[in-house]
Amino acid sequence: MSDWLTTLKNAKRTCIQQGNLRKVHYDLPNGKEMVEEYNMDTGVVNRRAWKIKKDLGGEGQWLIELGDPEPPGLSGEQVLIKENASQPFVSRRVTKRSLEWRIRNLPYPIETYSVTAEPENKYLTVRTTNKKYFKKLEIPEFERLNILPEQSKIEIQHKFNTLIITYEKPEVLKNFEKALFDEIKTLKAKHEGEMDCKPS
Amino acid sequence: MAVAAAAKVQEVREITRIERIGAHSHIRGLGLDDSLEARHVSQGMVGQVAARRAAGIVLQMVRDGRIAGRAVLLAGQPGTGKTAIATGLAQALGHDTPFTSMAGSEIYSLEMSKTEALTQAIRKSIGVRIKEESEIIEGEVVEVQIERPATGVGTKVGKLILKSTDMETVYDLGGKMIDSILKEKVQSGDVITIDKATGKISRLGRSFTRARDYDATGQQTRFVQCPEGELQKRKEVVHTVTLHEIDVINSRTHGFLALFSGDTGEIKPEVREQINGKVAEWREEGKAEIIPGVLFIDEVHMLDIECFSFLNRALENEMSPIVIMATNRGITRIRGTNYHSPHGIPLDLLDRMIIVPTVPYDEKELKQILSIRCEEEDCQMEDKALEILTKICTETSLRYAIQLITTSGLIARKRKAPEVGIEDVKKAYMLFFDESRSIQYLTDYQKQFMFDQDDDLTSMDTS
Repeated sequence: MSDWLTTLKNAKRTCIQQGNLRKVHYDLPNGKEMVEEYNMDTGVVNRRAWKIKKDLGGEGQWLIELGDPEPPGLSGEQVLIKENASQPFVSRRVTKRSLEWRIRNLPYPIETYSVTAEPENKYLTVRTTNKKYFKKLEIPEFERLNILPEQSKIEIQHKFNTLIITYEKPEVLKNFEKALFDEIKTLKAKHEGEMDCKPS
Repeated sequence: MAVAAAAKVQEVREITRIERIGAHSHIRGLGLDDSLEARHVSQGMVGQVAARRAAGIVLQMVRDGRIAGRAVLLAGQPGTGKTAIATGLAQALGHDTPFTSMAGSEIYSLEMSKTEALTQAIRKSIGVRIKEESEIIEGEVVEVQIERPATGVGTKVGKLILKSTDMETVYDLGGKMIDSILKEKVQSGDVITIDKATGKISRLGRSFTRARDYDATGQQTRFVQCPEGELQKRKEVVHTVTLHEIDVINSRTHGFLALFSGDTGEIKPEVREQINGKVAEWREEGKAEIIPGVLFIDEVHMLDIECFSFLNRALENEMSPIVIMATNRGITRIRGTNYHSPHGIPLDLLDRMIIVPTVPYDEKELKQILSIRCEEEDCQMEDKALEILTKICTETSLRYAIQLITTSGLIARKRKAPEVGIEDVKKAYMLFFDESRSIQYLTDYQKQFMFDQDDDLTSMDTS
């Protein structure tokens, strides 16, 4: 069906089941690692993350593609420079019918925003008329399956300081996700607390 | 009016205060011309023409980067400018060539073996230029806010507002970043880039929108367009890391253990081997370039025989840097043995070195050095006082005379004089003993000091 699906099918996969969540870890051929978390009741991906390896070596970091970002936690690293907590940030999620972006901490009224599809660059662009915010939203799913974004499928809403951008899933993506989910369902999953050996 | 002026001075001080005046902060380079001939007085260096010319040739050797593992020894009496020449060499090499400076006694630590400390120092002196994709923040500065807590202690809080033609963002700054922003004197209207991982700031110029306050800026100010689009971008940048830094990145304990590992401690030889292999691979692929730098070991006679034999071996490696050592010893015992050798260095290692001697300064040169230091320490001195100070210098030592500059400056300030006079220098000379007067005093009053009899015993022993 597509190259991406065969790559995923051939990758080394490890699977864990926690309640109704199924987590799959893929070891991809070029040394990349990816983790997905599926809700088995709805068949939708909740979270997806990539491991970023640096040339210079060392422990890589996880880059969150889907779902909420990791809490900052106990990272002992000293901060050099980071965005202030009051600044806008993007989180992504996927539902059965659509792809969603939520940009929080955006207080301006809905007329301020314009979201345009840019098929030649394969991303969506968010602009504000008051020149306070600008963002290129990449669509990794589309890039992997070579789908171009269309302007007519974009809808925007503004609620509680949050700009919600909804993009209706194209058929190709829906079919791909269904095929992948069928594959996931057949994987043998280890349940939480299960071990390979019996500890004495 | 006076209050306002005082407040202004305070403000200026605040910004430039970060660098303190050190023993060699007046040195800005080796003071050579384009054909590597030494100018008599230049870039804070005075005299020592032969040694500086030799250092110039070493500089050329480092810049070419084709010769590995050479050793250079700077030998001379105390206060003849050995460390100054090394500092000048470091300045002349510039930012991109690694220059590691250490003292011979630094290798004695309880946490690390001597050879590990030396290996780390050697690997700190080899740079690798590599292209890496990194997160860059590029924008025009709208505002810099740096606040220190009202109590005066505690961490500073910093905020930076940047904008592009399309957006504007507020950033929080960490302590290190605040320092480098103050050091770079970043102001609103500047267009800057910040490397998010390393925190390196580079100033691209001033924004065109600020072009109207042209008369307030220098002639050489470059005006640039305000950047477009997103502030944060991914860009391929070339940067230099040292082999030691790559070692550290790859030797950190993984997982939760990383929380408890503070210092790096010793690095396993396997890790180093692996990294050497990797770097060689990158070099073959053309992804990286190796920049051999300089390792400077001051007071090299403090190394012991084991370190010397380790160095002998380490210098043979083709990845080793140029090692410059300095010593003020004559024929003396090699540390860790009972053998005597020139400079306290074994003959086999001496044989591998090229030796650059430094000679004592003459009176004219001493005067020039003192006047350079007066300027550096912000001290106005009368010509006559400077002459007296030069005289003191020839009779005692250069270091002692330099110590008298700020002290007599403070004495002059106490009597509200604009310049330091002969009186002030004399007063400082009386207040602070130099080494020979102190010895004189001790021999005169030996009997009244504590544990006097001990000395008699040892002198009996030796006789």
